[in-house]
Amino acid sequence: MFWPAGYERVTLDETDSTMAEARRRAEAGLERPTWIMARRQTAGRGRRGRSWVAGHGNLAATLVFRPYCTPAEGARRSFLAANALFEALAIYVERSCLSLKWPNDVLLNDGKVAGILLESSGSGPFLDWLSIGIGVNLKAVPEGINDAAFGPVSLLGEGGEEVSADTFLSVLASSYATQEAKLEKFGFARIREDWLRHAARLGDVITARTSKDDIRGVFDTVDEDGNLVLITGTGPKTIPAADIYF
Amino acid sequence: MSDKKNHDGDVGFIKALAELLRENDLTELEVMREYGDNDSLNVRVSRQTQVISQVSVPAPAAAAPAPVAAAPALAPAASESADPASHPGAVTSPMVGTVYLAAEPGAAPFVSVGSKVNEGDTLLIVEAMKTMNQIPAPRGGTVKRLLVEDGAPVEFGAPLMIIE
Repeated sequence: MFWPAGYERVTLDETDSTMAEARRRAEAGLERPTWIMARRQTAGRGRRGRSWVAGHGNLAATLVFRPYCTPAEGARRSFLAANALFEALAIYVERSCLSLKWPNDVLLNDGKVAGILLESSGSGPFLDWLSIGIGVNLKAVPEGINDAAFGPVSLLGEGGEEVSADTFLSVLASSYATQEAKLEKFGFARIREDWLRHAARLGDVITARTSKDDIRGVFDTVDEDGNLVLITGTGPKTIPAADIYF
Repeated sequence: MSDKKNHDGDVGFIKALAELLRENDLTELEVMREYGDNDSLNVRVSRQTQVISQVSVPAPAAAAPAPVAAAPALAPAASESADPASHPGAVTSPMVGTVYLAAEPGAAPFVSVGSKVNEGDTLLIVEAMKTMNQIPAPRGGTVKRLLVEDGAPVEFGAPLMIIE
């Protein structure tokens, strides 16, 4: 199976979470970009402390590396990760069934087939490290998920082909490396274009739930920095962090 | 696309709003300015014990190639008279986003006023685009002031806390 040049690959039978493992390795002096996959996570997590349950046969992996970039540029990796995962999944399921929800959710038949979470750290103008955690429901639909708006689905359950976590990681890692190459060659504009092509509900009224309030508006675009732009009754609103509901 | 030519005017506008707030003993004021197509300025000025101003402007496209050097001093949040951003112990936000003072809702905050911190300790998180960017202490010391509340939006360069 093809594996992209320049990336290390680590497979663990069990860990607390691949995000925690990534952080430990980064703080211990990680040198090369490394994909860490765990066959079992005892404390998998999502955004803001939500737990992430990776059922049997599903993928739980984190890419950790040292991008020489600012935190804002680091945050744009959300879109690279979403694009990479979209293209990887499109190998195993009809691509018209897939769509993207800002900033990095990949939906399969409007259900949540995967989750992406990024963490970074750096005290100067540049990041010290960045990690991209990706969980994909390849086979199993996790139980006890309370996000009713986007119920969990699995690739297999939605008529996709069966693929092992190991094989899927190889495909995903290659797909991600392609995104990094595009970023380097053409800049974020190209990443943004790719993302917008697959965006769900562009031009429709959607809701952005921030930590303070709900903002309803027409999903206009994603700006050059990756922010969500909604046209609201009081004009355009630029939103850097929110959960999106249709 | 509020570029340089609007910037000075914007700062003056925000200062005027802050003045208005004080004069009329108001606690909050929100105003929107239209400059043209897809170009506007939203300002919300609110007052507690100190005056905090928050500004959101549609992405400055022209600033894209060199975000690194954009001086923190340009952030309108720093234009208030007390100007905590220029305090030598100020820790400023390296990006636009949402501030979280704890790792997750309901958890104990990373630090609070009076906390002793070592260099590298996580002070808070600034989130943008599902990226949780941890802000480590640039130096050891004691947290003297917290300038943001949990869940607040922050601009690039906005002062977050003072460590002495």
